[in-house]
Amino acid sequence: MRKYYEVRGWLLTAPYIIYTLVFFVIPLFWAIALAGTDWNLVSPKRNFVGLDNFITAFQSPKVAAAFVNAFKFMVLFVPLTLAISLAIALLLNSLTVWGNIFTVAFFLPYLASGVAMALVTKGLIAVNSPANKLIVSLLGFQPPWLSHPWWATMVITALIAWKFSGYYALVFLAALRSIPREMYEAAALDGAGWWTQFRKITVPMLYPAFYTVIVLAVGLMFGIFTEPYVLTGGGPNLATHTWQLEIYSQAFASFKAGYASAVAILNALATFAGVAVVRWIITRWGRAYGYEE
Amino acid sequence: MALIMAAALALTLVLGGCGGRSKPPEGGSGDQVSIVFWSAPNPTQEQFWKTMADKYMEEHPNVKIEVAPIPESPSSEAGILTALSSGQKLTASENIFVGFGAQLVESEALVPLDTLPGYQDLIKARKAEELVEGWKFADGHQYILPIYSNAMLCAWRMDILKELGFNEPPRTYSEILAVGEKLKAQYPDKYLWARKELIDPQKWWERWFDFFTFYYAASDGTPFLTENKVTADKDAAVAVLQFIKDLNDKGLLLTAEATDPFETGLTIWAVVGPWQLPYWAEKFPELKIGENVVFTPPPVPDNFPEGKTPKTFADAKGIVIYKHATEAEQQAVWDFIKWVLSNPENDATWLEMTGLTPARGDLTANEAFKQYFEQNAGLKVYADAVPTAVPPIMRKEFTDLQNNMTEVMMIPLINGTVTPEQAFEAVKTSWENMLK
Repeated sequence: MRKYYEVRGWLLTAPYIIYTLVFFVIPLFWAIALAGTDWNLVSPKRNFVGLDNFITAFQSPKVAAAFVNAFKFMVLFVPLTLAISLAIALLLNSLTVWGNIFTVAFFLPYLASGVAMALVTKGLIAVNSPANKLIVSLLGFQPPWLSHPWWATMVITALIAWKFSGYYALVFLAALRSIPREMYEAAALDGAGWWTQFRKITVPMLYPAFYTVIVLAVGLMFGIFTEPYVLTGGGPNLATHTWQLEIYSQAFASFKAGYASAVAILNALATFAGVAVVRWIITRWGRAYGYEE
Repeated sequence: MALIMAAALALTLVLGGCGGRSKPPEGGSGDQVSIVFWSAPNPTQEQFWKTMADKYMEEHPNVKIEVAPIPESPSSEAGILTALSSGQKLTASENIFVGFGAQLVESEALVPLDTLPGYQDLIKARKAEELVEGWKFADGHQYILPIYSNAMLCAWRMDILKELGFNEPPRTYSEILAVGEKLKAQYPDKYLWARKELIDPQKWWERWFDFFTFYYAASDGTPFLTENKVTADKDAAVAVLQFIKDLNDKGLLLTAEATDPFETGLTIWAVVGPWQLPYWAEKFPELKIGENVVFTPPPVPDNFPEGKTPKTFADAKGIVIYKHATEAEQQAVWDFIKWVLSNPENDATWLEMTGLTPARGDLTANEAFKQYFEQNAGLKVYADAVPTAVPPIMRKEFTDLQNNMTEVMMIPLINGTVTPEQAFEAVKTSWENMLK
């Protein structure tokens, strides 16, 4: 009987195991193997180059820029997105009518194509677009949208924040709705105002949602591709160059499959390290509210 | 997340790699041969090859030709490499430029076309003996048969030039800067030239349409690279860079995003290929070639002899046959290619359907094209420019080299951190180090 359950268990999990093997484990080992070669995808010559690809990557200013930019985007994107998504969630939670319609509306950007959104942004900030002309008339100068490192970084950060805020707001909204109303009622009886209730009840009770959103947002920063690819190509002066842009251009423009695999592995390691550090920090924060790992 | 992305890249590679190259695709059985021809991922070119294949199959029922566009996954070059590495059936394809061709040759993926029967006759029939010289590889073989050659020319908004008091488009750098000064005085919000691609580090191919177009004009076609050495005409290269710097310094160059700047009159000058004409005809019918828009060769330094036609860059692509096809398939596809390209009427059909100038030496002399060029004056100037157009550099490292040109030469020049001479020296040193 036990054997029957064992076989049934394996059978039921087989599709996922096969999926993981075919689409994740085998390609991963293949990437590790490729990272030690100089293969160009088609040549009969596949020379083993040892760690050369990794050494080249460590010396590459583009890889260095991608590494630094991931943290730069993180510092800008995570607080901005947390603030916007939390504000959206609080707003949606307070709505007594049409709440679901607005929830869907805020979620829509997440479903929209990144390429389409980047192209729309490109059109909006074009020097001869009506939107840009309006902004110029309000500011009194032409913002160097994509030609200045700081402005280009902000445009890309804002676009990604706009896309993901509605999605993260859903996580916060679900958490907000699970907070018992009695806690607020008791606090109000004790004389706590909105701000005190927010700090002492809402934020601590939302900690698991914060944890999820921050980890997702940090991971996302190591995987940015579409927005800089369409808008800046990684410029100006590598200010918006990302890991994925580097992997893409090496693999599919320069056809250096081995080197691109090495960069992809470094990208994975950087992501693990980045997420681990952030998890360590937010776990410490959670302890202040009594949460343990 | 990153691990998934790494795995995604590897999956692409594994799908390409696991097929291997050990088993060539089966050829036809008996007299029946089945071949696969990939056209450029452009509906008009795909339609042309489908039309030709249908006609050919009517006359040759023993041959089955499947025409499909090159999958752009994510680029047409990557699509071809993935197909070859996975052993996917692919007999021949078009849309190959010499740089990518060099990579395929090094990977031993191409059939030397000059070893196939009837090659010389075909070249003679197309009066393309001189033209194919620029397509010869280091081993002396021809692996790519040029099919079209788009000379890059400059378009000027003649209506705005006339408003500024110019009845002729400018020819030299000084004349262009003089036009720019007058333009800024009369229309402070307009620019002479919009070229945001100058500072885009990913778009390596855009150097063909700015620096190389200007450089070949200024240097009378002097090769920029010979084997592993930069053999450029330094004076010409520095003059081009100084010109671009002057445009930028005087506020005549727009490197920010703009939608259809030339077409909407935000700028008055553009470097364009013939593929732009159908777009104008559809979206901007008010732009009339020869009336409010005129074409000129690329600009030249002030000391360039007057009356001499400047050379330009040729965006040229050709057809290749893949070695991993069986001999029967190679022969069948070669017979098909010869059948298509030995008849000038087919080139005329190509011209009508695609608007791209066929790579022939007799474009302006052959009666087959006369009527077309009479009706399409815009394309006639491109046909005239074909003999003066220089194809791209034949190096497998094309992407890295031209990306590097943007990084060490163009961006620092536009940022004002280097002089034109320093910018040229930087790219020279960098290229020679890369090619060591």
